[in-house]
Amino acid sequence: MTPPDEPPPGPFFADSDDDDYKKAGNEMVMDELPPVGESTSSLSLPQTPRTASSMSSPAVGKLFLDDSDDEELVIPIDNSQVTRLAVLDDGFGVELLSEDPRLKSEASIKSRSVSLLKEESPPPPLPKKRRLSEDIPSRSSPSVNLFPAYLGELIVPNAWSNVSGKGYVKINDTILVRKDEDESEPPTKSKAPAVNTKKKSDNKKQLKLSSMLKVQPAKGSKKKKDNIVRLVNQAGFEFGRLPTETSWWVSKLLELGLIKIRGVMTDCPERLTTGIGLIVTLRFYLLAAAFKPIKSSTSGEDPVHFAFNEGLETEEESSMRERKNSIVKLFEIVGLKPQAGAGANAKGKKSEAKIRDEAIKRMKQRSGKKVKEIVGDGEEIEVDEAEELSKSEIDTIYNRAQKHDQTLSSMEPADTFNMTLRGYQKQALFWMHSLETGSLDAREASSMHPLWSEYFFPQPSVAEGEMIDLTADEMPFYFNPYSGEMSLTFPRAERTCKGGILADEMGMGKTIMLSALIQTSLATQDPDDADADAPSKAKQLRLNSAFRPVNSRKTSSAKPPSATLIVAPTSLLNQWADELERSSKPGTFQICLWHGSNRADLDALLDEDNDDDNKTLKIVITSYGILASEHAKLDRATTNRPPVFDITWWRVILDEAHSCKSRTSKTAKAVYALSAKRKWAVTGTPIINKLEDLFSLLKFLDFKPWSEFAFFRSFITIPFLASDPKAIEVVQIILESILLRREKTMRDTDGKRIIELPPKEILVEQLEFTPLERKIYDSIYHSAKRNFEQLDAKGLVGKNYTHILAMLMRLRRAVLHPNLVVTKDDERALSPAGDARVDVNDLIQRFAEGQQSIQGSTFADEFVANLKGNELGECPICFGEMENPMIIPDCMHQFCKDCIVSHIGICEERSQQPNCPSCNIGPLEANKLVEIVQKDVDAPASSQASDATVSFRRNDFQSSTKLEALIQNLRKLRAQDPYFRAVVFSQFTSFLDLIEIALDRERFEHHRFDGTMDIKKKGAAINEFKTSSRKPKVLVISLKAGGVGLNLTAANHVFMMDCWWNAAVEHQAIDRVHRIGQDKTVYVTHFIISKTIEKRILKIQKRKTAIVNEAFRGSSKADPQSLQNLKIMFGADDDDDDSEDEEH
Amino acid sequence: MSLPKRIIKETERLVADPAPGISAVPHEDNLRYFDVTIDGPDGSPFEKGKFKLELFLTEEYPMAPPKVRFLTKIYHPNIDKLGRICLDILKDKWSPALQIRTVLLSVQALLSAPNPDDPLATDVAKHYKENEKDAQRVSQEWTQKYAK
Repeated sequence: MTPPDEPPPGPFFADSDDDDYKKAGNEMVMDELPPVGESTSSLSLPQTPRTASSMSSPAVGKLFLDDSDDEELVIPIDNSQVTRLAVLDDGFGVELLSEDPRLKSEASIKSRSVSLLKEESPPPPLPKKRRLSEDIPSRSSPSVNLFPAYLGELIVPNAWSNVSGKGYVKINDTILVRKDEDESEPPTKSKAPAVNTKKKSDNKKQLKLSSMLKVQPAKGSKKKKDNIVRLVNQAGFEFGRLPTETSWWVSKLLELGLIKIRGVMTDCPERLTTGIGLIVTLRFYLLAAAFKPIKSSTSGEDPVHFAFNEGLETEEESSMRERKNSIVKLFEIVGLKPQAGAGANAKGKKSEAKIRDEAIKRMKQRSGKKVKEIVGDGEEIEVDEAEELSKSEIDTIYNRAQKHDQTLSSMEPADTFNMTLRGYQKQALFWMHSLETGSLDAREASSMHPLWSEYFFPQPSVAEGEMIDLTADEMPFYFNPYSGEMSLTFPRAERTCKGGILADEMGMGKTIMLSALIQTSLATQDPDDADADAPSKAKQLRLNSAFRPVNSRKTSSAKPPSATLIVAPTSLLNQWADELERSSKPGTFQICLWHGSNRADLDALLDEDNDDDNKTLKIVITSYGILASEHAKLDRATTNRPPVFDITWWRVILDEAHSCKSRTSKTAKAVYALSAKRKWAVTGTPIINKLEDLFSLLKFLDFKPWSEFAFFRSFITIPFLASDPKAIEVVQIILESILLRREKTMRDTDGKRIIELPPKEILVEQLEFTPLERKIYDSIYHSAKRNFEQLDAKGLVGKNYTHILAMLMRLRRAVLHPNLVVTKDDERALSPAGDARVDVNDLIQRFAEGQQSIQGSTFADEFVANLKGNELGECPICFGEMENPMIIPDCMHQFCKDCIVSHIGICEERSQQPNCPSCNIGPLEANKLVEIVQKDVDAPASSQASDATVSFRRNDFQSSTKLEALIQNLRKLRAQDPYFRAVVFSQFTSFLDLIEIALDRERFEHHRFDGTMDIKKKGAAINEFKTSSRKPKVLVISLKAGGVGLNLTAANHVFMMDCWWNAAVEHQAIDRVHRIGQDKTVYVTHFIISKTIEKRILKIQKRKTAIVNEAFRGSSKADPQSLQNLKIMFGADDDDDDSEDEEH
Repeated sequence: MSLPKRIIKETERLVADPAPGISAVPHEDNLRYFDVTIDGPDGSPFEKGKFKLELFLTEEYPMAPPKVRFLTKIYHPNIDKLGRICLDILKDKWSPALQIRTVLLSVQALLSAPNPDDPLATDVAKHYKENEKDAQRVSQEWTQKYAK
């Protein structure tokens, strides 16, 4: 841009050293001005190659001319000589009368004609310039008066002299600061030459800083740039230089013509000697040229044009970067701080900078290996494992976006919403609504472009008796610290996308919030579509069915959209439908689950019954998998395009939106292809471990300019790789405007937690094995232990890791139920499948028909009548009341289950024939016994075939300690709360089978949820479990399948049947129940069998070796940590008791 | 060691509703140990006799039979010199549904119906088989002599 201006001063004097430069410089300055005015084309600098280069892009020149003129003008001033000043003044003078005074005073232009020009009226110098200046106003009129605008001053204590002798300079002398023009550098050229000789024809080209920005092949001439900044006295003699730590950026700024410097010698010895230290005060003035647009690229309007060559920095880019760095440095040095926008927050909070630094520090180390990831519905892709982010880094990224969340306004949902939103949810609604309507920025009153910051021109100090500029209201200007661009006009944030990322933590009720949004922010209220909004709204969406020609489809889709599409992982589809229904008054939604192989025709769906209820909100819920496969059709089919992509949706919501995080995946591409008025990405983890995870979301949201990968990569990925803090900052800024993330632990303005969950009580129930179980377990344990010790002694543990894990697995099963480890041929193994229920009538019939004694059906009737009477007899064996009465089918004698079963067991042990204890009939078989099951008195309307309140079942099931404990607990629960809901977790589906049998036997209504079930079944299971009814229900769920998203707040009792290596997994499972929406105390019961491997697992959990988690989960390699843990597993038994004591 | 509910109940019932001709009283220091007295059944050689027995409920009871022994000398083919009784329900025909009361009734019944075909005291059995009358006379004598 304006760079040329500054350099000139330097060079001019420098010229003394290198005359050529000087002259050239001067000339150039002069030239520059003219060219600008005229149009760069006119300029042609024979003299210096650089000029040529700058010239090379005449077109650009034109664009910048205006600015460049200004700059040029400025530059001259700097030159110690009047001429320079004059030039500068001219440029500015025309435009900036008010400023002139300052210039004069500062520059001590005094007598020079130049000064006059400046002060009074710039006109004389260059008409052309004026023109330029005139152009400027178009951007922002105020600017005209400002330049050169004072920015601040810097005392350089360590400038040094490079001459010897007296009389070069005195204290308080005005000094000139100059930069040589570097031949090789196009930018420099323009500036440097600007020395007195100004008007030489050569100069013309030099001026164009702008040219730098443009792609200029010529630029790269090989001469190396120097950063020398020369100090020149009023007479034009160089007497010293700036130290390098100052000169690198000063020279750049001068070179680019962005600033003007007025120097004053603050302290120096009377007689200079080479190398002696000088203290100089530099005052910086920003030139109007600084505000010339660099390029469109940074503004983000059409990044496409950018020749982004990933990884490679183009000439312009590097130039831009230097410019940016120099300006940033300047601002830093003079203490100019952004008042708003990009940099403002960062600097306002002390922690912020620190956070950023830490983030940078932590993000090193990246490997280039490919890893497989699963996205969408099980789509597997290979991704670069680069630039992983740690959890804390990710946290810092969210940090900024969260800062103002406390103070967000809130909004009430529409009437159709029939739940109560919590405070933070209302805030979210407000925020989302605001983003959608664009009526205001929910977070800040102004919506500045995210990359820009607002600054105010400081007032120059009055101390030196300078005139105070009365016009100097606080003048804002804007700086983009990422591109180096500056502007006087307010950089509006351009929001082409309506929507954003709702990234509240898991369990905060995101679904509900979106439901509220859907109901509250209606298509009918959309200002854009106001006219289109008609009673027939429901019809608008309709796309043609597949049979209709494509065209007609288009016509129809041209109607304003009103339907909402929700894309979610398959397992959550039903939950979405439920939650929507639950949170709305009946009839609010018309929900279509668009899933499965025979999914309905979307067009028809959306067309359907649009007649009567146009107030119904149409919702289509589908999965990523479906979307991806539909998208595949899109590529193939030319005629029958899948309608889902042709429809313009009113709103698209991606749930668990990180599913599409890899931009090359099919899922992601499908998602990008959706068109909608409003788009929301919902995910608790917008960034999983890479910054680029975010890209996909931005792309989906069409959040420009970041939705262009090249742009994203250039401004985020690459800087990040280079450990440039800006990368994190940019991400923070992006997120600040489109992401809302709250965490459960956050507090509202009153300091209360935003989520108040009911208490959670965890009870570890310590159980003892029965002797038989103990025997089985011990034998397995000891053989495993022996095995391990042998391997360990030979040092082969690592190699046999998998084997050992298998042994451990077996032990863990043994703890649950002997059947899980006993081999099939074991006689006592009871086939769970045989739980055939025995019909009473059948039993009676058999009895009446076949058997000897007793009076046939009369007895049976009586017997059943007795049973119904609910009067349980005394067990002849224990003399107790029979808890689980068992009938011997042959003689109808009854005993306690425990008594008769152990009787049979003992007889078998003694090799005696087990007979009925009462009548000696026999032999008995345990699994032929019939158990009498009492039905719930509360559930008389049972669909059971028999009318009885009792029923029978064969005793073909063997329980276990844990199962019994569970059943006992559930019975107790039932006694206390006849309608309880409980969730039972186990990681072994085979154990889930057994649990189900046990529940069946106890007549508990139960449902099952595991990974093998298809979506319909899963949905049905959850639904039925949640449905309220006057009886207790139990959900049996696999730990692994139940971890994600499920909302089980209907229950408040949790039973953990086994231990997982990693306590976090267990907590997550518990959080299915203990999450928002839960209004009762949650009781968690953990069953642990003492003196088993479970105690040791708990111990490992306490060690918090997260490694265990991965290692045990299946990798076949052992690491030292895991080995250590294995030793705990098989360590001496002695400490078991101790540890138990500790724990209780 | 606490006493199973069943034993407590049995004891209570024995006290509250004793079987005719039979008494069983637990020791105060060992509730599993009973002092038992059985009256010799009428019409048997043991008539008028009061026979003392001891009865002990093992840990396994009722899954295993109680241990019962005559303390009073008795001339009976199924009871030996040491007082041990040969009765199926005290051995393999034990059923957990049997109780102290039923066991003692069985023992009483055994006095009425000696079974020399399944002898424990072989000489007594032989005597009963060869000359039942004479054997019964000896039993009567012993009853008068020992079971007063």
